[in-house]
Amino acid sequence: MMKVGRFFIKLLILLMVLLSIAGCWNRRELDNLAIVSGLAIDKAEESEKIQLTAQILKPGNLSIAAAGGAGDGGRAERPYWNLTETGNTVFETIRALTHKSNRRLFLPHNEIVIFSEDIAKEGIQKYMDFIIRDHELRRLIYVLVSKGKASEILESKTELEQIPAISISQLIEVRDATSESSAVNLQEFMNRLMSKTTAPIASLIEVVGKEKTALLMGTAVFKKDKLAGFLGREETRGLQWVIGEVKSGIIVVDCPNGKGKASLEIIRANSKITPEIKDDTLHIKVEINEEGNLGEEMCSVDLSKPEVWMSIERRKAVVIRKEVMAALKKAQEWNTDIFGFGDAVHRKYPKLWKYIESQWDDFFPSLEVTVIVKAKLRRSGMITKPAKPE
Amino acid sequence: MFGFLFKKLQFWQLLNQRNSGKQNGNWQKSSQTSLSRDLKENLKVLKSILGTSNDIVIREFSFGYDEKINASIIFVDGLTDRMTINESIIKPLMYDTHLFDSRELLTTNNIDIIQKSMLSVGDVKIVTSLDDVIDGCLSGDTVLLINGSDQALVISSRGWESRGIQEPKTEAVVRGPREGFTETLRSNTSLLRRKIRNPDFILENMQLGQRTKTDICIAYLKGVVNPKLVEEVKYRLKKINTDAILESGYIEQFIEDAPFSPFATIANSEKPDVIAGKLLEGRVAILVDGTPMVLTVPMVFIESFQTSEDYYSRPFYTSILRTLRFISFFITILAPGVYVALTTFHQEFIPTPLLITMAAAREGTPFPAVVEAIVMGIVYEILREAGIRLPRPVGSAISIVGALVIGEAAVSAGLIGAPVVIVVALTAISSFVVPAQSDTAALGRVIITISAGALGAFGIIIILLAGLIHLCTLRSFGTPYFSPLAPLSFRDLKDVFIRLPIWAMFTRPRTIGWHDPQRQEFRQIPAPPQDSEKVEQPQGEPENNSNMKSQTGVQGLKRPRKIGNKDT
Repeated sequence: MMKVGRFFIKLLILLMVLLSIAGCWNRRELDNLAIVSGLAIDKAEESEKIQLTAQILKPGNLSIAAAGGAGDGGRAERPYWNLTETGNTVFETIRALTHKSNRRLFLPHNEIVIFSEDIAKEGIQKYMDFIIRDHELRRLIYVLVSKGKASEILESKTELEQIPAISISQLIEVRDATSESSAVNLQEFMNRLMSKTTAPIASLIEVVGKEKTALLMGTAVFKKDKLAGFLGREETRGLQWVIGEVKSGIIVVDCPNGKGKASLEIIRANSKITPEIKDDTLHIKVEINEEGNLGEEMCSVDLSKPEVWMSIERRKAVVIRKEVMAALKKAQEWNTDIFGFGDAVHRKYPKLWKYIESQWDDFFPSLEVTVIVKAKLRRSGMITKPAKPE
Repeated sequence: MFGFLFKKLQFWQLLNQRNSGKQNGNWQKSSQTSLSRDLKENLKVLKSILGTSNDIVIREFSFGYDEKINASIIFVDGLTDRMTINESIIKPLMYDTHLFDSRELLTTNNIDIIQKSMLSVGDVKIVTSLDDVIDGCLSGDTVLLINGSDQALVISSRGWESRGIQEPKTEAVVRGPREGFTETLRSNTSLLRRKIRNPDFILENMQLGQRTKTDICIAYLKGVVNPKLVEEVKYRLKKINTDAILESGYIEQFIEDAPFSPFATIANSEKPDVIAGKLLEGRVAILVDGTPMVLTVPMVFIESFQTSEDYYSRPFYTSILRTLRFISFFITILAPGVYVALTTFHQEFIPTPLLITMAAAREGTPFPAVVEAIVMGIVYEILREAGIRLPRPVGSAISIVGALVIGEAAVSAGLIGAPVVIVVALTAISSFVVPAQSDTAALGRVIITISAGALGAFGIIIILLAGLIHLCTLRSFGTPYFSPLAPLSFRDLKDVFIRLPIWAMFTRPRTIGWHDPQRQEFRQIPAPPQDSEKVEQPQGEPENNSNMKSQTGVQGLKRPRKIGNKDT
């Protein structure tokens, strides 16, 4: 009898210990959460201070097709709430937002973090710290730089999605269709930031027109953690070619007969960066292998002829090469190793790297880069000859 | 506090022991005595014992030459077959005794002559003690007492109103036999005997319950069963000392291994084919008079996920169904807990669009998710219980109240969120997929929901691990409850998550049927006949019948090429 009693007492003690040692012990109901979907960090008017805008979802105002009960009254209102606060540090400001919000901010569903151009120029490492350190924020959130005020991006008008932040994160995800803008998540940004030579990049976003539509413009390039400049769309693809991030896209070339243009779809592409030492100087060889299909021709060349076919391939390679060289030119101009050449040299010549490492900034601008493009045309769609009267 | 309770219990037990001795007193005394030679004396005693009940019929008559022999038959009206008594007991005695030599009949051992030559009934026994007389009488036999003899004849004349063999309502099948056990022990044993026509199929009788004297029958297949298991079953049954056994559930609770475990360690079924299949795997069945529920021991956890139909249908879809049952079982115990944990602790686990939808549904609901889940769980249990107990004509009221008022109205009134209704509905549906464990699942569900509400996913894992450890420690009549998964037996995985074809299940489950492991011969995979085989076929016949073991395959073992030889 006594044994059983003692057993239960032991069990009780064990349970109490178990309850008290449990780590993350905060239960929060779903309706007490302010779900943050996007963060924007601007410079405050006061010096040394930041202005932080959080986009908070208002689930009640989201029109969910089947919910019905939510009512039409809610539809008139915006389903999000942009909350702005200024403060000295990011964490402080986020907490300070609860002066206005009756619910505590819930960050794990945050999808994007936008830095304004002017704050990026001053360096974003100090603001990045909280975003990387805090357990609630994911490593998969996209890092963006805005031309103009970052908070305005979160105000932009969206049509298909109801939440601007979610719309922008999807915008970044469909960049695969063109490969003309960068998609950089926190993890990649962090890796580049921590690298001694490789320069961080971020997507570039801008609000344009009266409609206030947000659109991706290209890439923001950082030197260390300070904004160095912007790459346009073509230069961005030039960068993507080298780092092997091109997924798809359209390359427009002139037709072999000189009349009209042809668009070629990129099917797959990969790249290889090989550092070489020739005559005691460091060369970088970039090999790009591309395969694509002919998607459209606005001229009337007969593709059944191999020389036409090869001519298009050659023209395509020239375009790719041009894009890469444009990106390279900008990068060398700003002395930002966005391609990761430094890391490639480190991997291939680890002993040599020790001497180069500290002087990489002197090496990079004058680095000789050979770009070899192997572009292949695979298929020509449903027809070989264009449909036209002979 | 517990010590105090246990002391109190012990005291009660002592008190009861003393009282029971007193109460049973006059019964026990009479049972010791033997019959006297005087019929009147015997009748007097019997009347004093059985006397006042109006269903006891005592018919006094005399027979023999000049009606010199006084006799009397005693039977219970309703339990006996009147035709048998009239035509096979009274008629031969009263009309045909003239055919016998009167002097011979008048001698003292005339009871032998009556038993051997006069009664045209199948089963007649001579008894000497009053106890046996009463016992026979109450179990539906007719007792014949003859003046001048201290022996009585117990003539089998059982016959009572009973339910016919029907399709069991609890275990419906699409394919397979539709018959189910009834409340009559004899008809149940006959159903089993018809499935297993084998002299090794043993039925052993027993009586339990001091007051009810319920007939119990232990069934097993000699040669396949582990003899020690039979011993153990008998030992545990004999230890039962209670006044009444009304259903097999009484026995289950007296002999089970883990009375405080939420998991049942004794299986039950209403279907003869299921029981036959289990007997053929080496289990022991316990049949109880008065209930169609037959117990089988030992039970393993996986048994709950197997149905008889699994073996009758082809293996592919069956294997999917098996997996589906495991998934359903997990859904039914985990769904509310996971919902609570996700919405109150781990919102970051939910994909953003889903989170938004759920948050929109939760907007403005007054209760925390855990309260919602528990309340809806209780409401569902109430509905289910009411649905069972309700008189049939008002049954539709339940569905209206359940579906409309509680489901629809509560959501639109904003009292509870819509997702929790979906979760509870899903839970409810899933719980019927594994009916054998639905009680356990309901219990586990509540515990998991509460612990998820307190600790989140951590709490769920704690309870699941505790449950798993508990399952692994359980034993049912010496068999590890979680076998063949723990201890792992690769050979027996053939019948767990997937079911192999019947011809590939060569062996009985290792932990149960190890006494005679091989169920059938190897290489019985059906294929179009080869030329060489066609010639040999007729020669294979004679050895077919001699090999009984391989024929007694579980669950309708098929031997494709030799099936026609069974009747030869």
